Amino acid sequence: MLSRGVVVSCSGQSQRLFSAVSGFSAARFLPPPSSSPSSRFASVAWRSSFCSSGDPKPRPRMETLKAARASAPPLRDADDLIDSVETFIFDCDGVIWKGDSLIDGVPETLDMLRSKGKRLVFVTNNSTKSRKQYGKKFETLGLNVNEEEIFASSFAAAAYLKSIDFPKDKKVYVIGEDGILKELELAGFQYLGGPEDGGKKIELKPGFYMEHDEDVGAVVVGFDRYFNYYKIQYGTLCIRENPGCLFIATNRDAVTHLTDAQEWAGGGSMVGAIRGSTQREPVVVGKPSTFMMDYLSNKFGIQKSQICMVGDRLDTDILFGQNGGCKTLLVLSGVTSLPMLQSPDNKIQPDFYTNKISDFLSLKAATI
Amino acid sequence: MEVESSTAGAMQLLSPRNFPGVFDSVDAFLFDCDGVIWKGDTLIDGVSRTLDLLRSKGKKLVFVTNNSTKSRRQNAKKFHSLGISVSEDEIFSSSFAAAMYLKVNDFPQDKKVYVIGGEGIIEELQLAGYTGLGGPEDGKKTAEWTSNCLFEHDKSVGAVVVGLDPFINYYKLQYGTLCIRENPGCLFIATNRDAVGHMTDLQEWPGAGCMVAAICGSTQKEPIVVGKPSTFMMEFLLKKFQIDCSRMCMVGDRLDTDILFGQNAGCKTLLVLSGVTTLSALQDPTNNIQPDYYSNKVSDFLDLLEA
Repeated sequence: MLSRGVVVSCSGQSQRLFSAVSGFSAARFLPPPSSSPSSRFASVAWRSSFCSSGDPKPRPRMETLKAARASAPPLRDADDLIDSVETFIFDCDGVIWKGDSLIDGVPETLDMLRSKGKRLVFVTNNSTKSRKQYGKKFETLGLNVNEEEIFASSFAAAAYLKSIDFPKDKKVYVIGEDGILKELELAGFQYLGGPEDGGKKIELKPGFYMEHDEDVGAVVVGFDRYFNYYKIQYGTLCIRENPGCLFIATNRDAVTHLTDAQEWAGGGSMVGAIRGSTQREPVVVGKPSTFMMDYLSNKFGIQKSQICMVGDRLDTDILFGQNGGCKTLLVLSGVTSLPMLQSPDNKIQPDFYTNKISDFLSLKAATI
Repeated sequence: MEVESSTAGAMQLLSPRNFPGVFDSVDAFLFDCDGVIWKGDTLIDGVSRTLDLLRSKGKKLVFVTNNSTKSRRQNAKKFHSLGISVSEDEIFSSSFAAAMYLKVNDFPQDKKVYVIGGEGIIEELQLAGYTGLGGPEDGKKTAEWTSNCLFEHDKSVGAVVVGLDPFINYYKLQYGTLCIRENPGCLFIATNRDAVGHMTDLQEWPGAGCMVAAICGSTQKEPIVVGKPSTFMMEFLLKKFQIDCSRMCMVGDRLDTDILFGQNAGCKTLLVLSGVTTLSALQDPTNNIQPDYYSNKVSDFLDLLEA
């Protein structure tokens, strides 16, 4: 999903995109906060979960951007692309569905790819649902998708904590929705906060003091419809006062399509708020950070060059694919239009673009 | 405790030795409020007597606060309730600054202003002749996410002003975001960007910097900042008091707003340790902002004057 403000832009906004990009790349490699140098979480395991084993480290974003071609070509030979990769990673909103409506031709396309022996993976920055809950959504839309094939940023947050051996006796404060809570529970972590803190009120008056749990070792921030001052203060206190407390963002999308009719302020807003009060940068686990890419390439034993990332948003999906060293295909069935892609201010060019994923069927048919 | 100044720029602890020189060279003292005059709703010891003494010695007093929740009038009321007499026009709040910014830039009166912040901003906008939407009452609103529901926003909003808002919620974030992203030319104005502040006497709480950063996150735009350390307010101060900046001293508790404001404007600067900045934070090698002077609290003036 592309935020219009990013692509249809003057050069000032492109600059912001670049700094946002390098911010994301930098955020990947930021060690846990230095307030506690001997933090138990600052293990080597953490660092290696970001630096992919085997595959060359992706070039810094700026170099890659300068080397990008003028404009991506339309996909002509779908067969060629399909045969050249082993795995397709699909974004969900704007690629598979829009809001709660399935996009035309998706079931047949996925079936065709599976029949050719391709592995399918679904990676979404949406942290409101757990993998299991997404599995149900796929099912209600009539799609044959396994929970194990779905990687939401809610799952990514829990997987990240696991990868750094986050101690089970420490707690996680959540500014976000149910999906994050469910994934933390599945991973065996104790959590506080979530939607029920949306009902808590504070009174700024003399003598009022807000306590916070000193055992909180990480604050996870994602999209939160029940965002309020109580949560902001709780998260802020944990990050500022609990030694070594991590600040983890599921994603930083500026806007998101909660309904298919319009854009809605996204996780980038809640994460921004906590950045503002703590003056700290988060570790980002969702796209375009390659954490999820590294995770699934390790888990399934796939070479990144054998992957094609398919998404509708340049600054998350396509950048994710490029950062990961994969092929990239932009679909125009979501937030990005052709003029946006071809705008001189847009510096992110996928390998190919096409209207929607069912073009795999029609383009394929044309070459027979 | 005193840092010996071998170079011109090194900060000095205010002492009986240097105080007379400072006092004689300053005609107007600019005071921050939170952490200097009061903490939350509790007056800091000795402030009342100090201000009286300064006035009796013919010094002008000005209060420059980044807290946008109150208007100048409401701030004056707070002073009075704490037993300090000030007049409204000695107070320069960031709520006032936001309204003045629109005025000096000829913001059209037929355009509206969406406010993520307190009553103070709404009141100052009204006084300046503008229509403010939002503010505290949007704290009770929620958004709907059913497929056929459209979140509406007023297309005539030409500016979104964001300040400290303890009643921040998703409705306001979404409203402000839509105005900035979809209304052509819509301004994004921040009263200030303080990360935290002493909203109560016992601990620090997230400041306007938090709400502003939330909107930066959803719009990917940077705001125009009207409060400290921006020197926008200085123009008004200079006009009102006809005093040279070099004869002013900014007294504050925060390095990256109060002291930077004073330095940017060319005033003397005095950091007090009664608010958010501790001595160790001040002396930390990573701190790049050095005030001219520092002291424990405002009432140190009493001891120094009597010395």
